[in-house]
Amino acid sequence: MGSSQEIYRQDGSIVSRRIEDEVILVPIRQNVADLESIYTLNEVGALIWEEIDGQRTTAEILALTVEEFEVSEEEAQKDLTEFIEQLSSIGAITRV
Amino acid sequence: MECPHIPKISYGQFGKRLREKIAGKRVPLAGSLELTFRCNLRCVHCYLGDARAGIPGKNELSYGEICDLLDQTVDEGCLWLLLTGGEPLLRPDFLEIYTYAKKRGFLVTLFTNGTLITPQIADYLQEWRPFKVEISLYGRTKETYERVTGVPGSYERCLRGIELLLERGLPLRLKTVAITLNKHEIWAIKEYAEGLGANFYFDAMINAGLDGGGDPTKFRLAPEEVVQLDLGDAQRADELRDFCKRALRSPSKPEYSYLCGAGVHSFHIDTYGLLSVCIISRHRSHDLRRGSFHEGWQEFIPQVRYQRASDGSQCNQCELISLCGQCPGWAQLEHGDQEARVEFLCQVAHLRAETLGPPMWERSRTEASEATV
Repeated sequence: MGSSQEIYRQDGSIVSRRIEDEVILVPIRQNVADLESIYTLNEVGALIWEEIDGQRTTAEILALTVEEFEVSEEEAQKDLTEFIEQLSSIGAITRV
Repeated sequence: MECPHIPKISYGQFGKRLREKIAGKRVPLAGSLELTFRCNLRCVHCYLGDARAGIPGKNELSYGEICDLLDQTVDEGCLWLLLTGGEPLLRPDFLEIYTYAKKRGFLVTLFTNGTLITPQIADYLQEWRPFKVEISLYGRTKETYERVTGVPGSYERCLRGIELLLERGLPLRLKTVAITLNKHEIWAIKEYAEGLGANFYFDAMINAGLDGGGDPTKFRLAPEEVVQLDLGDAQRADELRDFCKRALRSPSKPEYSYLCGAGVHSFHIDTYGLLSVCIISRHRSHDLRRGSFHEGWQEFIPQVRYQRASDGSQCNQCELISLCGQCPGWAQLEHGDQEARVEFLCQVAHLRAETLGPPMWERSRTEASEATV
């Protein structure tokens, strides 16, 4: 992740489901991720995933994360960067 | 802040974790949906009977109704969805329904006879990969297969369907019923499936027809033949031995008529929108064209699932009950009485206990019979 003004959107090849308190990403089309597996998200990951809407910038998502989880901006930035990279690598999000 | 990493786990591991997490709660994790009763085959053992020609005056759920029902089940937590029939590929809108289910994030399993799979359908399934496809292969020769299905040419079409899926690396499981007409080819079918690298299983427990007709039961194997087949498959026999050991070590005294997960973590919807606890037990149902899935799941299903056995119920007192397939659904189909004993199931359960059960069971059985004398 480079600029904090970058915007990402969820890719239609992966769908999220919330069942009880489990949030999962289900790959639904060929050429994304690993169709034999399922991806699970914790509460922080789930919040970030839901904020990736093709409109909010990563800076805005960072601010929301800091506010929601009462964590330092530096720590949140590091985690957000890694998470965005992971989501990109499995094809779950694409840059707008 | 907990690091928002993305653990990747297998579907099996996830399912186990989810079930453990919700233990004790009723959540409709798995549902089956019959897209049609109609079928292009006329299998002798089929429980749908005359309904396979369609039921005059009744309309199958439309595409719009199905999408609405799928939305409702998603809201209640359904993840595993089985699309079945009849033959689901007979519906001209099958791929639209399938795609909608995929886009809603269901893990979709498809039950099909395989005869209607075309290269185009196989390509589509490769693109929108199903969780699993199961095809029934009723024989390893044309003669036997078509004696079961009643349709000339269906054997070749089924094999072609299997080939089309395997060429595309789709997750395929082959299965068969074991009945009087094909019992001599069960191992040949297994060998064929395993040679293709596909999973395989067979089922000899043929239930009576939904219309009250007893025709399918004419093709049941004798209980001795069922157990012989169990013994003929080393893995199956070992699994049954383990199961017998566990079940007989601490015989359960069930509180309710239903002993399985039906209505607790699973449900069934037929092609006319009737919700029931499972695909076999549908003599009591909730009409989803008149009421919501939420009402059906929360209010109607528990009334069925948690009914108590009457004092006179023989089977719920039996120490083999957890080994036996006896359930209100089977009994209702066979005798029109949900507590009546299904003799076939009873005999198979006793024979399995005698043949595959632990020696301790044998001893206690002998002692009990001596005490009775």
